[in-house]
Amino acid sequence: MAEESETTGIDNSNDKDLAANVENLSLANQKVEKQEAKKIDIVLHATGSAPILKQKKWSVDQEKPISAIVKFIHKYLKLDPEERLFLYINQTFAPSPDQIIKNLYECYGTNGKLILHYAKTQAWG
Amino acid sequence: MANDREILREIWEGKIPVHFKLSADETDVEPEEYFLLIPRLSYFPLVTDKVRKHFLRFVSNELQDGEMWMDSNGIPLKWHFPIGVLYDLLVGTDGTLPWHVTVHFSKFPDDILIRCPNKEIVEAHFMSSLKEADVLKHRGQVVSAMQKKDHNQLWLGLVNDKFDQFWAVNRRLMEPIPDQDGFKHIPVRCYAEDGTYQQKLVAPSTASGQKRLLQDLLDDFSTPVRKAGKS
Repeated sequence: MAEESETTGIDNSNDKDLAANVENLSLANQKVEKQEAKKIDIVLHATGSAPILKQKKWSVDQEKPISAIVKFIHKYLKLDPEERLFLYINQTFAPSPDQIIKNLYECYGTNGKLILHYAKTQAWG
Repeated sequence: MANDREILREIWEGKIPVHFKLSADETDVEPEEYFLLIPRLSYFPLVTDKVRKHFLRFVSNELQDGEMWMDSNGIPLKWHFPIGVLYDLLVGTDGTLPWHVTVHFSKFPDDILIRCPNKEIVEAHFMSSLKEADVLKHRGQVVSAMQKKDHNQLWLGLVNDKFDQFWAVNRRLMEPIPDQDGFKHIPVRCYAEDGTYQQKLVAPSTASGQKRLLQDLLDDFSTPVRKAGKS
């Protein structure tokens, strides 16, 4: 028996392949199909005093802007309306609220995922 | 780098004459229009204090605290895009000057624009863009090695329109780091006419070491439809 490499999230391997091929697909096929919402896996990590999410990995529509993710976490964590939330890429910079997940994944995605850190105060201002 | 200096300065000094007028539904009087020559590389909130002050004299008391926003031909202007990008997107090369911009103090279009209550928001946005660019160019090593005062100098250089002050620091962001031939990736954003934008990883050369051309970049960003339309 070949050695069994236990990988987490193995059930997502198809999604990963799909995500990796998103670009090829959209270039190769001139179909309306590509307008369909493709999903990208994002992983959300808490930073500083921000509460941890029970579920860290989410599959989101690649056209979704960062502002929608912020709104989602804000709601999920039941933060007060006046509490702010900041999202960071590479623990370095905060993408603009209108930046879409697809662009970020294209540039900063690793192993089929886009990793985002969230904080309640400016963490890497 | 030194050879580019004149070009850098020319780009820095690019300015657009703008004709501001107050939206007709915000005032009973006929306010004087306002004209300003503004830098392409700056952002609207950094150059429109005078515009705000000028028009506030003509609007009613209840609008005095309203956040100022602007539109060009009915399209709200995104303050977080550089002024030159907005002009090129909305007016283009065959537009007549000055650029006509309408000023508002009410009915802020929250679904389209990000609020900009103060200049700190602009600073945070600008610094974040610089950091992102450095992540692509040098894995973020140059910007993170800088001191707070260097960051301030970049920001103040932009705010006060001081080319030398800005470039004294920005030079470091635009050079390769010692163990690197050139930039790892080139930070590029491709804006569409509807104001959305695409970003991709753009390496300066191919895997076989060949330098990539501007045409390669354009091909990367072209949609199949546009490619088809071109041929």
